[in-house]
Amino acid sequence: MAGTIIFGSRAGRRVRQIHTANEPIREWMSLPFVAHTHHVPAAVLYQAIGVRPEEPHDRRSVRHLAHELKRPVSQLIAQLQRAIDAAAQPPGGQPR
Amino acid sequence: MNDQLLAAVSQYGTPALFGIVAIAAIGVPLPITLLLIVAGSMISQGAMNLWWAIGAAGAGSILGDQAGYAIGRWGGPAVVTRLSGVFGKRISLQAMEAKVKAWGGSGIFITRWLLSPLGPWINLASGTAGYPWHRFLFWDILGEITGAAIFISLGWFFSDRVMSLYGVLGDLTWAIAALLAAVVFGYLLLTYLRRARVQ
Repeated sequence: MAGTIIFGSRAGRRVRQIHTANEPIREWMSLPFVAHTHHVPAAVLYQAIGVRPEEPHDRRSVRHLAHELKRPVSQLIAQLQRAIDAAAQPPGGQPR
Repeated sequence: MNDQLLAAVSQYGTPALFGIVAIAAIGVPLPITLLLIVAGSMISQGAMNLWWAIGAAGAGSILGDQAGYAIGRWGGPAVVTRLSGVFGKRISLQAMEAKVKAWGGSGIFITRWLLSPLGPWINLASGTAGYPWHRFLFWDILGEITGAAIFISLGWFFSDRVMSLYGVLGDLTWAIAALLAAVVFGYLLLTYLRRARVQ
């Protein structure tokens, strides 16, 4: 019963956080996937890293793009995060 | 490893999903729940088709489960014991066979999606215990399609919160498993006490 209570309460805490916590950017995610989880237009992310999207669905992962651009994955993720933060906070405006 | 599998599903779609779930069903520990949630999210973004995803995940799992059953049935206990060593898990085949006999079809059904870590071992034990193949196939198809539909739907509904959802489901699974264990233990204890009182 102790296990039920411990894991049940942990699940409850996570459920309460589910709408407030930000999803981390992972190297397996494609840019449309990152854009979807962070509620920003994918074009913002493509523009930030200077890559043209593939049509109709760009399935290239962040890792794949980093390899194409010959840059470290962590650096690309940091650049995407800055673009997301900037999109969430327009110049001179309040954070969304 | 997880990132590479997720990248494969993200890049190659349903064929990758089919292959990975089939390998996991044989006994290789892979994060299938997370893959199905991500597939659900991709469906909501228009990057994957719902029916193809459920079909690929269901068919891959069923194929892997049937392979496990066949290994148990025709390979026998010696092969199963060797396999459990290869995958780094020493299991008690007799205990698993006892579970198959006690739980029957409902055990096969529930280990397809709720207690999924037990699934590959139940497949092997069903084979060695000589559980009828047509019944195993029926419960296997029902359980795998149910599991694929549940996790893909959850990923679809919570498409922008896949990692958080995965964390919630992990804790919920352990909570339910602990509750089931407590219920079974309580039942066994009550039965023992009743017998002791009669004697």
